[in-house]
This record gives sequence, structure tokens and C-alpha cells, in this order.
Amino acid sequence: MMFLGSFLHAQGRGQASPASVPPPRSTTTLAYPADQIAAGQRLFTAQCGFCHGRDAMGGESGPDLTRSTLVAEDVRGDKLGPLLRAGRVDKGMPAFTLSAADLGAIVAFVHDQKTKAESLTGGRRTVDVADLQTGDPEGGRRYFAGACVKCHSATGDLAGVGRRLQGLALLQRMLYPAPGREGSKATVTVTLASGEVVTGKLAYRDEFTIALTDANGWYRAWPAQKAKFVVNDPLQAHVDQLGKYTDGDMHDVLAYLQTLR
Amino acid sequence: MMSWRICRRFAEGARVRRHEGARVLLLCVVLGASGVAQSLDPSALLKPTPDSWPTYHGDYTGQRHTRLTQITPANVHQLTLAWAFQTNQPQQIKATPILANGVIYITTPDNLWAIDARSARQIWRYTYPQNDGFHIGHRGVAVYKDFVYMTTPDAHLIALDARDGKVRWNVEIADSRRGFWSTNAPLIVGNHLLVGVSGDFDNLPGTLKSFDADTGTLQWTFYSTPPLGTPGSQSGGATGGQMWMTGTYDPELNLVFVGTGNPTPVLNGAARAGDNPWTCSIVALNPDTGKLVWGFQASPHDTHDWDAAEVPVLVDAPMNGTARKLLLQASRNGYYFVLDRTTGKSLVTTAFATVNWSKSVDKDGRPMPDAAKEPARDGRLVAPNEAGATNYRSPSFDPATGLLVVSAHDAYGIYFFKPEHGAYGWAGANYSVWGKGVLRAIEYQTGKIRWSHDIGEGAGGAGVLTTATGLAFSGDSAGNALALRTSDGATLWHAGIGRVGNSPITYALDGRQYVILGGGSALYAFALPEKP
Repeated sequence: MMFLGSFLHAQGRGQASPASVPPPRSTTTLAYPADQIAAGQRLFTAQCGFCHGRDAMGGESGPDLTRSTLVAEDVRGDKLGPLLRAGRVDKGMPAFTLSAADLGAIVAFVHDQKTKAESLTGGRRTVDVADLQTGDPEGGRRYFAGACVKCHSATGDLAGVGRRLQGLALLQRMLYPAPGREGSKATVTVTLASGEVVTGKLAYRDEFTIALTDANGWYRAWPAQKAKFVVNDPLQAHVDQLGKYTDGDMHDVLAYLQTLR
Repeated sequence: MMSWRICRRFAEGARVRRHEGARVLLLCVVLGASGVAQSLDPSALLKPTPDSWPTYHGDYTGQRHTRLTQITPANVHQLTLAWAFQTNQPQQIKATPILANGVIYITTPDNLWAIDARSARQIWRYTYPQNDGFHIGHRGVAVYKDFVYMTTPDAHLIALDARDGKVRWNVEIADSRRGFWSTNAPLIVGNHLLVGVSGDFDNLPGTLKSFDADTGTLQWTFYSTPPLGTPGSQSGGATGGQMWMTGTYDPELNLVFVGTGNPTPVLNGAARAGDNPWTCSIVALNPDTGKLVWGFQASPHDTHDWDAAEVPVLVDAPMNGTARKLLLQASRNGYYFVLDRTTGKSLVTTAFATVNWSKSVDKDGRPMPDAAKEPARDGRLVAPNEAGATNYRSPSFDPATGLLVVSAHDAYGIYFFKPEHGAYGWAGANYSVWGKGVLRAIEYQTGKIRWSHDIGEGAGGAGVLTTATGLAFSGDSAGNALALRTSDGATLWHAGIGRVGNSPITYALDGRQYVILGGGSALYAFALPEKP
């Protein structure tokens, strides 16, 4: 039911042409003992399989780990270990309490699956760049000119976006560039009882608390009921757009963004 | 030794013949190895006492509504922590605590704790051996006489002695090597122990089993998708339709109502033509035989993983001026349904969340899928997303206001399918795009939304509990337990306890009302302050 949005954004790196998209290759390919892989498989199935699939190639809600950049860059758990132990609780991934041996086994299994996946074709739950080439760039350009130019520019912030991102990664980013590891894009302006006005990056918001990171990097929070504040969330325009796109529009805009190379 | 049943029969007679009864009851206590005073009479499930929460929904109706009146809109702001119980597990508590005889039974996958409902002191703990099943969540136990039952990630059913957690028997519900697992909180009806399983990653028949609650002997099996070639096979080649949530029961009709899951292969609809009954359905079964009495399909030919496993809430109330036996469901596909639960006939079908996958409702009240929104090679933008417009989070029905309060989810996802994805298991790809959680109050007769209360980005995790005093307890996505005024959704109390991942319960012991919510991996009990 939940997914790890920020992982997905990195999927398209290192891609040559839209038609052929190899997943990121492991930076360091290591061999793991069979019994360690088997132990890792048991742990992975029980703890990770529902979301990521028993084969680590994507499950009910989590991404295909064999196509993950983080996994590709991991060497013996140096990236996966800290992530597993901390979790991504906001994205629905719990923090795991793992012994070094269990962690090593899970890492071994994931890497082994990645090695196997690199030689697999067909039958996988993949979305290839070639699958997404049904849109009309000219229609997309027109749509973009009406709906997107208030915040975006083909020659400004989006110049070269078709080079930086392709395929599913570009489509996801286009639909909703979820705040990932870089944090929220929203800003908030709080007017204090004293009349002081504080503006900063939105750090936290719920029904009861409003918090920002101020210009000096400090976290500051106030009771939401007592503070006067205005939140400016540029992503709201993306949310509003979700109810307006037809599937044709969506594919057209994607086709147009692909031309911004 | 006098059996429990005989004791009970005498005790019932005692209401008429007071003197004899009292003598017999005394005898039972003296003789009763099975402990009449401490064990849970299954007939108590028909009228649960206020000092208990003896079954997943609290009672058979699934209303998750309490008659307790100590905590009110006027004093709820005084709620204070009575106790907390830390499981020290990495996983969030998703289970409903079950309370009988002053003991709370709470679970996470493989783990069951018996704790004192007054103090949270641990009485015993049972840990199931390490196994390969999915450890994705656990919904809770069932209790009966002096048994406690727990399902396991590898699809076994364990019967434990409620006094000390010793295993009495262990039966396999379904073969986990084929891909079944279980998170299910069983439903007790008489001596029937109804247990469901999960299994979306393999093409498996939707399976619900009834076991003899005393012995663990299989009584019957109901297949929502009888395997091809077997009698009653009608699913059009679809497998799936797992009944992984706890059903409800009407003792007058002697019908159990269970929601069934999505068909498999999940996103590949082409592999299974037609409506695929009884997947994504509400089925009414005779609990004595497991025979289907009627079925209603909430999502014909689902291709988006939208189970109709959500709680079928039973309400006896007027509908357009006529007293009816109703069944309400806010379904994962975004539609709210009212059925006549005697016949299964549709009375209301209306959306309660953002939906774009259906353009029409057929004469039987079923939203018909728009073929243009089926998963496709180049992707389809669909509302809701795969997590659905609601999910396992229990709704609550408040009879006073006539509102069904639901943890809803307005969301979009993208769905892909191409023949290369095959026809086994998930058979496609889908990604969530965006979603936000909303507590939404639905007027039961019309489906009209009375109020909506935002609870933050992403789907919520908490179910809802309403009270006779007009409160609705739940949780937001940021990690606050909430008490809202049921009539208008205004927030009256909150406590930052971590994300609430279960559905709240309440009970009264020693004259004090407790409200219990899971926050992260701990269980929290709130009550009004005691006088010093």
C-alpha cells in the first residue's frame, strides 16, 4: 500500500537512448556464498517480500530493487545497511533491527537477485521507455503552454530534463515530483503575535504544529492553532493537475518533455 | 467432570430456578477445569459486556461503536495516559486488541502478548517459530472458552491456552509453499472458527475455512473462486478473491458476511474474461455449512487490486422510511454500498472518494469498469491508487447521527500491463503517484458526505471507533491519536503517540473507561484522570 517514492526517481540514470534502458549496473559485483544467499532469501521473503516481491523485483507496493540505483551503488551493505536500520518510516518502510549476520544475508540475496535480473528478459514487472512512446509532442507542448508555464520553463528549469530523466522516472516526476531526500519544496510564512514575520522552508505540518527551517538552518515550530501562517506549496499545482489530465494528455506531455534534451 | 456446555446449560436454567442454579453454578466453579468464571462463553459474542472487546470488531455487527458514556465531548480534552505497552518490535501494531476477562491479547506477526487490561503488565508471551511467510501485518486473535487463536505468516492456525499461552494445537490453514499467508483475526460463530488467508503473488483459489474451535478439525471450506473444473467454478479463469479480513454475522439470519479480495492475476484482466465472481465481492455464507447464500460484486472484473475485503457493517435502520436489515461497505474501489443483507440486493451505490475508473453503475448497483482505465502498456492514470480509497482500516457506524465514519484516501496511481508481464501473480506494474488521507463521514441512507477531515499525505493507518456520546477516535498520518466530534468532524483531543496503525477499541473496568490505540509499536490506553 505504500511505496518508496524517492528511490524510484533515480531509476533512469545512465541510460543511453529511450529505446534501450538497461537498469543501473552494480558498481562492484561481488560473489556471495550460497548458504548466505539462502539465509538472506528466507529473511527477505518474510520481512521484505510483500512490498518488494519475493524475488526483490517489485511487489504489492515497493519498487523493484534489482533496478534501484541505491542497490547498484551498494557495496556489502554500506548503503543498504543504514537504510534498513533507519527505515523510511514516512514512506511506510519500517526500521529493521537486524544482526550483522542477518543484514549481510539480506544484502547478499538482493545483490544475487540483481545479478540474476541483469540476465533476465520478459515476464518481469518492468516499464520500459519504449512502452511510453505513445504521446504526441506537439499536443504536449500545447498542453504545457496552458497548464505548466506558470511555474516551469522549457528553456529554464526544464531545459535538458529529457536528458536527465527518461521513461517511468520522467513520467513519475512529471505527475508528482514527490519530496524525496531533498525535503519539501513548500515554504511557509509565519506571523508571530509580536508582529515578527518568519519565512522558511516548510519543515513539518500537521493539524497542531507548523514548523519551518529558517534562513540560518534552525528548526522553529509553533502551535498551528495560535500562529498565523501561509503555506506556499508549489506541488499543489501537480496535485490539481492529476484530476485534469486525460491519459492522452499525460502521454503527450511526457512526449514533449522527452524533446527537452 | 462436568463439561463446560452442561455447566452453561444449568447456569442458563438458573435464571429461572434461582436456587438450583446457584447450587449448580457453585458446582461448576468447584469442578470446572475449564473455568466457567474465566472462560469466554461464545454466546457472549451476541451481547458483549462493556468490560470486554471479545472479537475483532467488538461485536458481530462491525459497527465498532460503544455504548460506554464516561468519555464525552465535554471531558475528552482531559484524557490522560493510563498505561502504555511497548512490544519492542520493529513493526507497527496493526492488530485490534482483544479483551476478555480483564486480559488483553495483542499481536504482531509471530508474536502474541497477554497483558493485564488494567496495568499493561505482561502475563505471558508466545512467539511462533521463525518462518518464511510474509510478515506484513497481523490483525489480532480470537477468543473462545479458554482458547486464544492466532494465525501465522506461514498460514497456520494456533490454538493456545488463554491462561498461560501454551500451544494446544496447530493446524495448517493453507500451504504457505504455494504462496498463502495469513494475517487474519478469526471470527467465532458458535463452535465455528472462520479463518481466512492472503495470497496475491500466486494464482491461488480464494479460500475461507471453518475449523471446530475445540478440536481444530476442519468443518468446511468456501472457495470464492472454485478452481477450474471443480463444482461451482464460475470465476472465468480468475483465481484469488482471498478473504483476509474478519467478517460480520447476523444471528437472526444465521449469515456470515465476508468481503473478498481482488482476482489474480492481479493487473492482467485479459487472462480472465468476465466479471470474475466472487472476487471483489461481499458474500453471505451459512456458517454451519460454508454454503453461499448470496453474493454482491463491488468491482466486477477488477484490474487494480481493489479488494472488497473491507468490513461489511451491519445496521438495522430505516431506509426511505422502512425498517431494513442493511449492510454498509465503504469499499477499496472508492464506492459506498448499501445492501439489503437478507437478499444481497443493492440499495445505494455512490462514490465516497476520488474515482475515475467507472462511468456507470449497472442495474444491480455495481460500478462498471471503464476499459480505458485498465492497466496498459503506456500507463493509465487511475483514481484511487492501488492502496485504494480505503482499506483494512475499520470504519465505524454511529447510530445517533446515522454516519459511517471512514478512513478514506483520495489518491492517484499509474497502472501498467503488457503481455510480457505474463499471467501469473501480480502480472503488471503499478506505482502510486500521490494520495492524501481524509476521515470522511458518510450519511448511511444516501451516501452523502457530511464532513471530511484531512489527516495528511499518504493513506491513513488508523480505523475509527465511535461512542454513544458522539466521539470518533482515530489517528492522522503524522502520528497523532485524534478524538473528533462525530456530528461535524471537529477535533476535540489529540495525543502524539506515533502513527496509529490499528483500529481503536474501548472498554470499562472498575468503573473507568479506557480507549486503546496502537501508536507505532506500542499500545496506549487513555482514560479520564483518577481522583487522587
